[in-house]
Amino acid sequence: MLLKNIYNEFIKILAKPRSYIGIGALTLLICIILFAMKADGSSFISFVTSSFEQTLSFNGTILNGNLIAFIILQMLIVHIPLLVALVTGDLISGEAAMGTVRMLATKPISRTKIVISKFIAGAVYTFILTLWLIFLSLFVSKFIFGSGDLIVLNSEGLVILKEQDILWRYGLSFIVAFLSLLTVSSVSICFSAFAENSIGPIVSTMAVIILFTIIGSMDVSVFQNIKPFLFTTHMASWRSFFEDPVPYSKIFNSIIILVVHNVLLVSIAIIKFNKKDITS
Amino acid sequence: MSEEVIKVEKLAKNFGSFEAVRDVSFTVNKGDVFGFLGPNGAGKSTTIRCLLSLIRLNAGTIQMFGKSYATHRYEILSKIGSIIEKPDFYNYLSAQKNLEIFARISGATVSTKEIHEMLEFVGLGGRGKDKTKGFSHGMKQRLGIAQTLLHKPELIILDEPTTGLDPQGIIEIRNLILRLKNEQNKTILLSSHQLSEIELIANRMVIITKGKSLVEGNVQELLNAQELTVRLELSDVNKAIPLIQQHFANVEITRINEVEISLSIEKKQVSHLNKMLGENNILVYALEPKRKLEDFFMKIVQS
Amino acid sequence: MKKLLFLSLFFIQVTSYSQEANQLLERVVAKITSVKDYSVDAAIKTDIPFIKILPVKAKIYFKQKDKFKIVSKGIVILPKQGFTDVNTFLRKTNSYMAVDGGSKMIGELKTSLITVIPTSENSEFVLAKLWIDPKNAVIISSQITTRSSGTVNVDYFYTSELAFGLPSELIFEIDIKKFKMPKSVAADINNDKPKDKSKKKTADKKGIITIKLSNYVINKGINDAIFEKK
Repeated sequence: MLLKNIYNEFIKILAKPRSYIGIGALTLLICIILFAMKADGSSFISFVTSSFEQTLSFNGTILNGNLIAFIILQMLIVHIPLLVALVTGDLISGEAAMGTVRMLATKPISRTKIVISKFIAGAVYTFILTLWLIFLSLFVSKFIFGSGDLIVLNSEGLVILKEQDILWRYGLSFIVAFLSLLTVSSVSICFSAFAENSIGPIVSTMAVIILFTIIGSMDVSVFQNIKPFLFTTHMASWRSFFEDPVPYSKIFNSIIILVVHNVLLVSIAIIKFNKKDITS
Repeated sequence: MSEEVIKVEKLAKNFGSFEAVRDVSFTVNKGDVFGFLGPNGAGKSTTIRCLLSLIRLNAGTIQMFGKSYATHRYEILSKIGSIIEKPDFYNYLSAQKNLEIFARISGATVSTKEIHEMLEFVGLGGRGKDKTKGFSHGMKQRLGIAQTLLHKPELIILDEPTTGLDPQGIIEIRNLILRLKNEQNKTILLSSHQLSEIELIANRMVIITKGKSLVEGNVQELLNAQELTVRLELSDVNKAIPLIQQHFANVEITRINEVEISLSIEKKQVSHLNKMLGENNILVYALEPKRKLEDFFMKIVQS
Repeated sequence: MKKLLFLSLFFIQVTSYSQEANQLLERVVAKITSVKDYSVDAAIKTDIPFIKILPVKAKIYFKQKDKFKIVSKGIVILPKQGFTDVNTFLRKTNSYMAVDGGSKMIGELKTSLITVIPTSENSEFVLAKLWIDPKNAVIISSQITTRSSGTVNVDYFYTSELAFGLPSELIFEIDIKKFKMPKSVAADINNDKPKDKSKKKTADKKGIITIKLSNYVINKGINDAIFEKK
């Protein structure tokens, strides 16, 4: 019954117009970035390398598909979570708003399985969105800009990674990025279990992300103890694959935190949905 | 003794401080068309939602097919088809797709052919590919019934299935229910405000008000135990009234207009009344028993 | 009288020393000028605080007067003040004044220090100190100060192409005080590492770029198309 309902959820997600808003918006966003980089990417590079250029000169193809892909992935931080929440935030509360939740809940399938099937379907949608992101950011960028070494700027300085040393990093970083987006999906599904309309969970999810991101970026002693446990602190852990050496223990710690968040949030959604009186 | 399909005992449900259901008890037997009656706000929908495990009980017990939801939820729900208030569908999907979605998790295997046949059965043949967004209320009601019957349930629970339907629609639903009962021996629990419909098709009923069940039993037995209110259209009302009072003791006669009166008598006395009037050369243009159930209902509820 | 004699002798001494410096520098320039063009394989190793980069292989092309191109598969970091810039500057003999600065032992080699002072106020070069091997007329070490890049120290090592004055190894020491990390789109806003107070100390450090040059192809002609920007 779980598999059947997962299939049902796929059909619903595929049929909803909002599912394509996310994919369309992502496509448009990336196309705009690609166009901007093609038009004037060298100015962007100068911004990154300018503080070194008094003494050093950078030669070679800095502006290449690998760098563009990295820049696009940076957008994960704020923009793509919204596109995920737009669909996953509607999974439970949308049924309540439409009235179909009572039709669903009177079928011989447990409420736990209903929530799990929605989570899985949401996860697959998130995965498809991530795959599309990979395709556009990495492969289309490489097609337009070619390949080359990747220059990454972090707070420690510049890291320049060899071209042949990049693909596996992107592979692993996308997996972690998917886990980050899955966590966003879980947050919105959790809120969705409490709401009776779609907008509430979506807005709440974005509010939580923005709030936690702000807390995470503030260098204040009051927040130091909670920062390591905020999921937003670990949403950017995919970037760690572009450090040298790769801090595997830090990444593994982030993965654990994100997985725990997912389990916790889905559990809360299951508990809430099971206890809920369906009066809509 | 008939097998008990639904057994409700001392059901209670609160929403915060509001007592939606206080003490509801009734039994539905296999093969019944069971009328579930009550005024607005009596707790009918709440009780039905409890029957379908949409709502948790605060007190009391519910046994469906002799089993409880706690241990046999899947088995119970796979035998029930229901419409609660107005049926809602995924308006971005077609009628056929909606039925496929619900059929897939109904506990039975339903083929595409059966779905098409069901759409024909409820009068939506050829509309399977249309999105339900464009469906009228009546069409959604039909589709709701299709969704209810698709997996061939043993028990059908209908919460006000004729609400918003035109007279033809109401007749069609009534005929459908009768077919389900007579041809397929389905057990049907029917909540409705159309008392005339209930009177025509239900064999047993319960009346609840303010969250409490008041009367339960066989419809005809309950009604026959009550007096009948009869409306008469006569050729000579002035002559008829004293004659009736003379022949039937303690009869209360109400003059409606120049040619009509109404009075309450026992059912068995109706033929005597008609004969007596005829023997006294009073022409009876119309003899209409008033909605019996309506009277009975009002009497029970108001008391 | 004695004073006059002393001053005269001093003047003669200084003049003779300047002449010697100019002559040595001319020999160096002659060697530099003898190279019309060359291509060479380069292995570049960068050791600069704030920058992590693996050693890179590249091909360097040079053609007089100042055509320079580096071709590599990856990103290459070179000193802004490349090793050809000094040569290009020295070729303009009218644009500077050479002053003898004595001698210094570098390893086991006794080198002559020549201080090159640009005559123009607008020159990019502010000062150049060159430690030259007088026997082979090649630069062994240099300290170049420019307006834009500050001071860069370079050590030169020669093997097979000593006759042309083309080094087999160059070690650049760069001042990194001016390096600042921009907070850009690529910055890690979720970085939870504590602020490193020792960063202030690294500002005093130097950056080292080591370039090993091999397989020179000298004066065989290089197509100008190679130097065109793609």
